[in-house]
Amino acid sequence: MIIIQKKDFNIEKEILKIKSLHNNIGAVTSFIGYVRDINNNKNVKSINIEVYKKMALSELNNIILLAKKKWSLIDCLIIHRNGLLKINDKIVLVASFSEHRKDSFESCNYIMDYLKKDAPFWKKENYKNESIWLKNTN
Amino acid sequence: MKIKYFSWIKEITSCDKEILNENNINNIENLKLFLSKKYPNLKKHFDKDVLRFAINQEYIANNIVLEKNDEIAIFPPVSGG
Repeated sequence: MIIIQKKDFNIEKEILKIKSLHNNIGAVTSFIGYVRDINNNKNVKSINIEVYKKMALSELNNIILLAKKKWSLIDCLIIHRNGLLKINDKIVLVASFSEHRKDSFESCNYIMDYLKKDAPFWKKENYKNESIWLKNTN
Repeated sequence: MKIKYFSWIKEITSCDKEILNENNINNIENLKLFLSKKYPNLKKHFDKDVLRFAINQEYIANNIVLEKNDEIAIFPPVSGG
């Protein structure tokens, strides 16, 4: 399942929603990305995330399909937020569901790597007196 | 064709999308030439080859032919997650 939204979400509820659909899930690996208060030695006040939504849905769907070919996965969940986010806000959740831990660990990492490399989202950091678009850090 | 700009590209173009109906824009290289004239500050970024292009929501690497109903997106390297 892929969700791109402005609003916050509850990690446990979202994971349990998927878990409740499958009795054969034995392992879940999740990654959560948060907004940090300091980046590149600057005090961050907030960030804006821009998205090319139609393409992001398509790219994220592609990576889930690729991950399902490489690992034995029961389900995958990606929630990525856009819009104005404050310090400590969640940015992204990626969760991989499988029977065994190796598949979920490795695929979660793979999905996150691909998301950072190709999914069309852009972050702008807002400081006290200026805003800067961030470069890709992979 | 519809052109969409994202991130700091749209600050150079002062718009996030526009429709182009120029008959001579039939591939990406022609589009770059056209946009470099229209937005001189874009040229150096095209020349550095850092920008990414997507046609109808798919990345393209080569100078492919453009159709009049295509949606072309131009943006810098992504920075989500």
